[in-house]
Amino acid sequence: MKISKRRAGEIPSAPKYRTTIGDVIFNILNYSFFIIFALSCIFPFYYLLINTISDNDLVRKGAIRLIPKGIHLKNYISLKNVADLMQAFKITTLRTLIGTAIMVAASGLVGFLVTKKEMWGRSFWYRFIIVTMYFNAGLIPWYLNMSMLGLTDNFLGYIIPGIVAPYNIILVKTYIESIPAELEESAYIDGASYVTVFLRIIWPLSKPILATIAIFGAVGHWNSFQDSLIIMQNSSNLYTLQHRLYMYLNQTTNIGQLMVSGTTDLPASLQAALLDTKTIKYTVSMVTVLPILFVYPFMQRYFEKGIMLGAVKG
Amino acid sequence: MQKSKTLKESNNRAIDILFYIYRFVDIILVISLFIPVLNPARICSLINSNMSLFTSGVSYSGLTKNTIRAINRGWVVKETFTLLYISSLICCIGFIGPVAGCCMSLGSLKLRRLGNLLSVIGNILSLTGFGGIYISYLQVAETNNPDKIQPLIPTGYFVILGLILLVLILSVILLIVQPKPGKDDVYEMERKYKLFLMLTPFIALTFVFSYLPLWGWRYAFFDYKAGGALSADNFAGFKWFKFLFQNEATKKDILRVLKNTLAMSGLGLATSWCSMAFAIFLCEIKNLRIRRLIQTCTTIPNFISWVLVYSLATLIFSSEGIISNIIVNRGGEAVNFLMKGEHTWLKMLAWGMWKGIGWSAIIYIAGISGIDQQLYEAATVDGAGRFRKMWHVTVPGLLPTFFVLLLLQISNILSNGLEQYLVFENPYNTRDIMVLDLYVYKLGIDSGKIPLTTVVGMVKSIVSVTLLFGANRLSKAVRGESII
Repeated sequence: MKISKRRAGEIPSAPKYRTTIGDVIFNILNYSFFIIFALSCIFPFYYLLINTISDNDLVRKGAIRLIPKGIHLKNYISLKNVADLMQAFKITTLRTLIGTAIMVAASGLVGFLVTKKEMWGRSFWYRFIIVTMYFNAGLIPWYLNMSMLGLTDNFLGYIIPGIVAPYNIILVKTYIESIPAELEESAYIDGASYVTVFLRIIWPLSKPILATIAIFGAVGHWNSFQDSLIIMQNSSNLYTLQHRLYMYLNQTTNIGQLMVSGTTDLPASLQAALLDTKTIKYTVSMVTVLPILFVYPFMQRYFEKGIMLGAVKG
Repeated sequence: MQKSKTLKESNNRAIDILFYIYRFVDIILVISLFIPVLNPARICSLINSNMSLFTSGVSYSGLTKNTIRAINRGWVVKETFTLLYISSLICCIGFIGPVAGCCMSLGSLKLRRLGNLLSVIGNILSLTGFGGIYISYLQVAETNNPDKIQPLIPTGYFVILGLILLVLILSVILLIVQPKPGKDDVYEMERKYKLFLMLTPFIALTFVFSYLPLWGWRYAFFDYKAGGALSADNFAGFKWFKFLFQNEATKKDILRVLKNTLAMSGLGLATSWCSMAFAIFLCEIKNLRIRRLIQTCTTIPNFISWVLVYSLATLIFSSEGIISNIIVNRGGEAVNFLMKGEHTWLKMLAWGMWKGIGWSAIIYIAGISGIDQQLYEAATVDGAGRFRKMWHVTVPGLLPTFFVLLLLQISNILSNGLEQYLVFENPYNTRDIMVLDLYVYKLGIDSGKIPLTTVVGMVKSIVSVTLLFGANRLSKAVRGESII
């Protein structure tokens, strides 16, 4: 038993697992609460999935509740005919890849640089960067600034503002500080430059934390909606996937409102269009959410590591 | 001997001072490159007033956006703008010289001299560009429709020209005054400056994207309309600040918005213990696999966007959703729960919790595993039951984390975020859902009331920062630890 771990002479604790009726009731309640809550988190995704792969006529009739019927993938295949959507998909993928890569490289480098005590004005510049987490000028000044810099209606407007990410810099810095300093010092003695040390020693050693911030960054880019909404007002070919989805959702709500209020009898063609948007809407939702559902379970430990490291600094 | 040494020292000091001035002017010059008001390439009022010299040199389409009509009508020739664009581009390239010179001025003598040389070359290049801009101005000035084109030489032209000349003269002087490098001199730089220069691009980015927007606060003091310009004529003083509280309609709006904001933040604060409770009870599930599974399921919603949450919400709660579906099958009438105006605050709270609680519990779960097991054993020996152990051991162990998060949440009391409320907003609930962030978005971006919304944003930022520092102080006084 576990007694072997205890020091001699210590009193073994009272037997732990003496189940009483109270325990049983507690466990039942506790388990059922969490299982119901977990189901409420998962069910919408499942329901979304079965609605997009089931027979469209059955979906329209509302016959699909728990089990998919008449499974087909036509909805997904027909998505490629929606030009707007493919463009948005391209833009979002591009910004996720490019934006994340640059952000990770920059956070790694800055995180490394700010651990160097010999830098001129190190603590001042570190604070200069970090303090921006706690204030912002507000939405409108930010927008005016972006427009002044020529980054509105410009793909770079997605990438450049995200390069310096203070929170990620803190994470990387904290991590690098935990790497034994001797490793670096011996490299300097051998005549290595800062760049070499960063590329050959620090970068490979901090891969776990870089992976963590990469995943956070990628999710952020993939989910981005607000910046597309605000700075890309005049160039619909730069809309992100989430922005497109938002527009699809709104379109149907508007037509839906007309129907509910009953003032207009919708012609059949519009009815068909409405149903089409409905299918598109949910299929697009599924496509948008798939990467996250797919990636999340495998990357969960990285996510958790990220939040824990952040908690060290508070 | 002694005398010559002091002479040399004072000479060195003079050079140092010259270098300080040189770097200072250099930095001003580089910043002026990005300021639209100082754009020397804005040779006629047709050119977008939002363009800076940098954007004029980079984006030809931006430069000629408003001039296409003028070109088509034959008021001006296209070549003029091509020339203008190329000249601006040359200026931008020329600016690399002073930048390099500024960086290299931190190095050894040999490096400094190289930097000065580059600076001279770059500035001569920029001057060529300025010549080109002047020529294109002369061409524009010959237009047959001066009323529409309004050719002008912007003040920025002279300001930047002056700065360039100043840097040029300083570089030349420094080149002459500095001693010639010896044979064994090398290009090198002290480590502290090397590190600093490696960080500079990121400092510049931070400045441009986080500090420069503060400069936009000046819009709060002007009667500004989108596309217009700021000048002494439309300076309005504190008009918009007063407007906020004097105009009856606005005042009513603001009070309602503030009520919503504070109510939703307040509900968030009041329920912030829930994620701690969630974690504590989750840890009571002793089967690790099930616990892990539940944790995975409940954290997923945190990683989908609010747009997707809304999409899922329509799937479940709208008139075409599963609940209406069930009601209809039982002979009822379809209900669109999202289009109802009641209990908006609570609904928003519920969505926020559904999305966030699993994720925010993780930090507490980790905290629980960090609590010393001996405390639990001791409590068991003392006869404490499950709940007493929770209350007397687990909760005190988690309280420090809880307080830090609570204080950070308090400082964000006016910022609920935009996306959640934007996607859920509709004509039925707009009264109760309008929080400050959404209000600013609607008024500023949709209706273009820039000064008023800048005022709102300004007040919001100041309140947040004040609250944050207040919370920090409180935390220092009570716990002896700062939170930021």
